[in-house]
Amino acid sequence: MSVGTLLENWSEFRHFHPVDDKPHDPYKWAMSIDLDTCTGCNACSVACYAENNIPVVGKEKFQHGQQMHWMRIERYWSEDDREFPDQGAQFLPMMCQQCEAAPCETVCPVGATNHTADGLNSQIYNRCIGSRYCSANCPFKVRYFNWYDYPTVDNVWPAEMTRQLNPDVSVRGKGVMEKCTFCVQRLRAVEVTAKSEGRIVREGEVQTACQQACPSSAISFGNLVDPESRVHKQWAAQQVVLEADEQEKNKEHGTSELRGYRILEELRPYPSVMYLEQVRESAV
Amino acid sequence: MHRILRLSFFLMGLLVAAGSHAADAQKPTLTTEDSLGPQVTQPIEFPHYRHAGLRNPNDPTNSDPNKGGMEIDCQYCHTYARRSAVAGIPPLQKCIGCHQNIESVRQKPRIVELFKYWDAKKAVPWKKVHDLPDFVRFNHERHIKRFIEQQNRPTQEACGYCHGDVKEMTVARRSKPLTMGWCASCHQKEHPVTGEGGAPIGNQAYWYKFQKPAADKSGGEIKAQGPNDCWHCHK
Repeated sequence: MSVGTLLENWSEFRHFHPVDDKPHDPYKWAMSIDLDTCTGCNACSVACYAENNIPVVGKEKFQHGQQMHWMRIERYWSEDDREFPDQGAQFLPMMCQQCEAAPCETVCPVGATNHTADGLNSQIYNRCIGSRYCSANCPFKVRYFNWYDYPTVDNVWPAEMTRQLNPDVSVRGKGVMEKCTFCVQRLRAVEVTAKSEGRIVREGEVQTACQQACPSSAISFGNLVDPESRVHKQWAAQQVVLEADEQEKNKEHGTSELRGYRILEELRPYPSVMYLEQVRESAV
Repeated sequence: MHRILRLSFFLMGLLVAAGSHAADAQKPTLTTEDSLGPQVTQPIEFPHYRHAGLRNPNDPTNSDPNKGGMEIDCQYCHTYARRSAVAGIPPLQKCIGCHQNIESVRQKPRIVELFKYWDAKKAVPWKKVHDLPDFVRFNHERHIKRFIEQQNRPTQEACGYCHGDVKEMTVARRSKPLTMGWCASCHQKEHPVTGEGGAPIGNQAYWYKFQKPAADKSGGEIKAQGPNDCWHCHK
């Protein structure tokens, strides 16, 4: 892309969503995760490693904070004073929230992370120069930096294991940032099929790897614009609106009985992932 | 002092911006000798000109292999292009399917070579000519649907946008740069997505931007650019 085009379309590249005159059409990929059914089994995380060619860095590098898990399970203990089995663990799968007004996008010095028309927060490895500013500005801390040239130097995939790498996903080299993509390779594949058949992607036609692996079906993923999609129905039932920084349901009584919420909504990144959780007595 | 510094920074910025615009203005010609790919030696020198080339009007029997072709549609052999992301290489069965019935060329050296592979039950190890980097997601099917099926462009023209004039070649050679700038030079063009009166071409109108493009006042035709978000092509 030439500099001329980049400048000409600057507002579009740096466009933050949603705004009234530019609705998402025909796709807005979104997710909802039911934390009340999540058992914290880590299957989603493993599936993500397998699908997206994520290097397994090992204990030592993990302790240095160089882990690459695009999907991580965060643990919270609600009963700190008790022993382990009764500690009341709560799990929260955390990955890139594909914010509509993503803080990471505005700070990238080279425009390597942008917003796409179908509501994804793209990360282009070829363009990334590794300033790590995006990671610094991400309130969810879901961006991971390649400190090493994992495929060659670090032997994260011994000889035969390279055959399990997904050819639809780049193997990232040293010095680039990476993060959850909402399995964009799968999205693009179904979008292409749908387009060739003259329709839009149907509900259930595409799954993310984490959703596919989840044994308790806690994760649902789909097109938020499509009124038939499960995600759309869940968001509507929970009265969570994409373009709100404070949900209507929470304004009047302070809290609502409904379970749906988005993390750090008040910072106005307009995340595309909704979590569902019953507020527990112990948490109040 | 600070003000002067700031101003000079501003001017520098302007200069750089202007410079990049100027560089933009004189775009390199798309097909230069430099952008020609390497001459690839294939296991069998496949004569594209003979299969896909135009018929010679002076030779109604089409018997002279040095003149005139068969005008076979590209998609007859490269059949996967219209239904998958990769065009693929035609299997040996495809060659034999015709050539077992063409006695007149059966003893030609290339055909003899071809039948050697067939008798040995081995695939011909064709070499890849148009190779995109591993981080690129390119889809043949979309381009075929868009240009051949929906806009009724001739196959050879549509394939030729990226593959050059293969019907004139013996062994195919890359004749377009296949760089990102070159891809984008076409994706930046305004292609019609609807016909007269605003009816979508092939019952589908395409646009990849956030908004439906405005209709042209005079013709009612809507034009839009190709996909231009990075994640369409970058893996």
